[in-house]
Amino acid sequence: MSESTKLSRRALLQGLGVIATGAGAVTVAKLLDERENGLEAEVSVLRASDYTADLEAIVLRGFEQLGVHEAELRGKRVLLKPNLVETALGEPHINTHPAVVLAVARAFRQLGADPFVAEGQGHRRDSWLVLEESGMVDSLEAAELDFVDLNHDDVVQVPNDSGLTNLAELILPKTLVEADWVVSLPKIKTHHWAGVTCAMKNFFGVMPGIAYGWPKNVLHQEGIHQSIVDINAAVAPDFAIADGIIGMEGDGPIMGDPKPLGCLVMGRNLPALDATCARLMGLNPMGATYLPLSSGFLGPIMEGNVTQRGVAIEELARRFAVVDYPHTRALRDT
Amino acid sequence: MVVELLLDRLANAFADDRFGYLYRDGGSAEAAALGALALGAHGRDTSTALDWLQTQQKDDGGIPVLPSLDQPRWPTSLALWAFQSAGREAAAARAIDYLLDHHGIPVDRSELLGHDSTLIGWSWVDATHSWVEPTGYALIGLREAGRADHERCRRGVEMLLDRCLPSGGWNYGNTRVMSNMLRPFPATTGVALLGLAGEPMVPAIERSLDYLRATVSSLKAPVSLSWSLLALAAWHREAPAMELIETSVRAPGRRPPDPVHDALLALAASRAAPEPTPEEEP
Repeated sequence: MSESTKLSRRALLQGLGVIATGAGAVTVAKLLDERENGLEAEVSVLRASDYTADLEAIVLRGFEQLGVHEAELRGKRVLLKPNLVETALGEPHINTHPAVVLAVARAFRQLGADPFVAEGQGHRRDSWLVLEESGMVDSLEAAELDFVDLNHDDVVQVPNDSGLTNLAELILPKTLVEADWVVSLPKIKTHHWAGVTCAMKNFFGVMPGIAYGWPKNVLHQEGIHQSIVDINAAVAPDFAIADGIIGMEGDGPIMGDPKPLGCLVMGRNLPALDATCARLMGLNPMGATYLPLSSGFLGPIMEGNVTQRGVAIEELARRFAVVDYPHTRALRDT
Repeated sequence: MVVELLLDRLANAFADDRFGYLYRDGGSAEAAALGALALGAHGRDTSTALDWLQTQQKDDGGIPVLPSLDQPRWPTSLALWAFQSAGREAAAARAIDYLLDHHGIPVDRSELLGHDSTLIGWSWVDATHSWVEPTGYALIGLREAGRADHERCRRGVEMLLDRCLPSGGWNYGNTRVMSNMLRPFPATTGVALLGLAGEPMVPAIERSLDYLRATVSSLKAPVSLSWSLLALAAWHREAPAMELIETSVRAPGRRPPDPVHDALLALAASRAAPEPTPEEEP
């Protein structure tokens, strides 16, 4: 990462302040289009009415649409990273649903891969309590899936090459670094600080709590959006499957309300997938600052550069409520 | 007896240098400190764990979380507790110096947050905000070392009480974010209440003990269960401790053995019978 690239991204970040006021959005869109010159990605939106649907078959259909085949996956150790934040009785929309995790694991096994589940919760240190209360532990049992607590894993220090934060190095779990494939399994939610939380923000949950604390305050202090980009650049995830069967609107990521969207969203490129999810939520992807920061660097986010497979966005899109603060208003400029 | 199984597993791990998290090779400061406390509480040898902890202690008295990392050094509080319990005064004194020299960073108050962000406790990582668990750990260690009256401990107590949720209990350290009150967690509530043990009873503590008593019987996860039991015992509240510990150990499901889990459960078992309160004494 050259200094000039770092500086240009920082300049973009400063420029994004203009979006929040509504002025200059056209200019930024033009800039992003230029940055994405030649970048393309495919994202598949698959209808899934509820958690009793044949989700494994739906995931396999998504793999087919996106050209994910056995030859690519046989024998690979695949890390599945769900979004397990907290648990609360009667509020399963906080976390990636266990049925989705189970279906994805089984689909990867169909392609000859060896999946396992890994998470490092940002709020609760006791991973096993979250697994028990969320029902995930039953899915692990049912599918004989191993779970790795990334908060307490051995660690590896890697240089922070993208350098949007001031962190010289990032501390990553050894299990993550050694996995052959890293797959984000987020819940589609609004987020009271980041605007949108989906496949990319989900990777806050790979940063080991023993090094970053609970909540992972170092990352918030360095800037949520900048941290999201730095972490994703370092992790270089291979795939994402977002649980949009029931999402969350309002005061996400934990206190919001359930919002049925009726779909799974799949893709190899995470900025493209998150931008699609924002559009499914009726929100402007450019209002979630980490997405324009990722544009042209980690992937495309502009609609014209994302090839849509499966169901058209317009068929499923629903307007998600967002908390009304200055830092979230640009999300509604659609 | 399940406690003997836990203690044997811990003792073997210290002998074989396999007390990293999940009994991986190498060590972790948290496992060494809690392991020494658990072994010591049951009359077992603690020298290997404590000697190792002392080798990890840096010039400023702090102890990093893992040998491979220079920072963060939040396990220093737990090490202080272990050193003090074993009478290792010199190592304890250095840990005290470290804790009194480090604090969480206050930030300007914001209408978006319910807590008083100017109050100072302890942080997980240097130069970040104060949070419930590291403040609870520091208070436990400093109280054990006879420093409960130190100005920093008084400020830490004030911070913890400010972060207590209106309905009782603590989460990681926020109360309200924007318009919603957050939810309590058993483990953080246990740590906070243990850090406050010895303080006068106030409604926030009473409500938090009520929350733990209502929650503890549903817990199987070792960390939440153990800190809850330790706190209830410290505040002389009854709980079916041994029954719950047995269930947790005998039905781990896919949960692999971990020295921190084993140490916490064994430590909780050592304090299972609450001492009678003064009113209950004959």
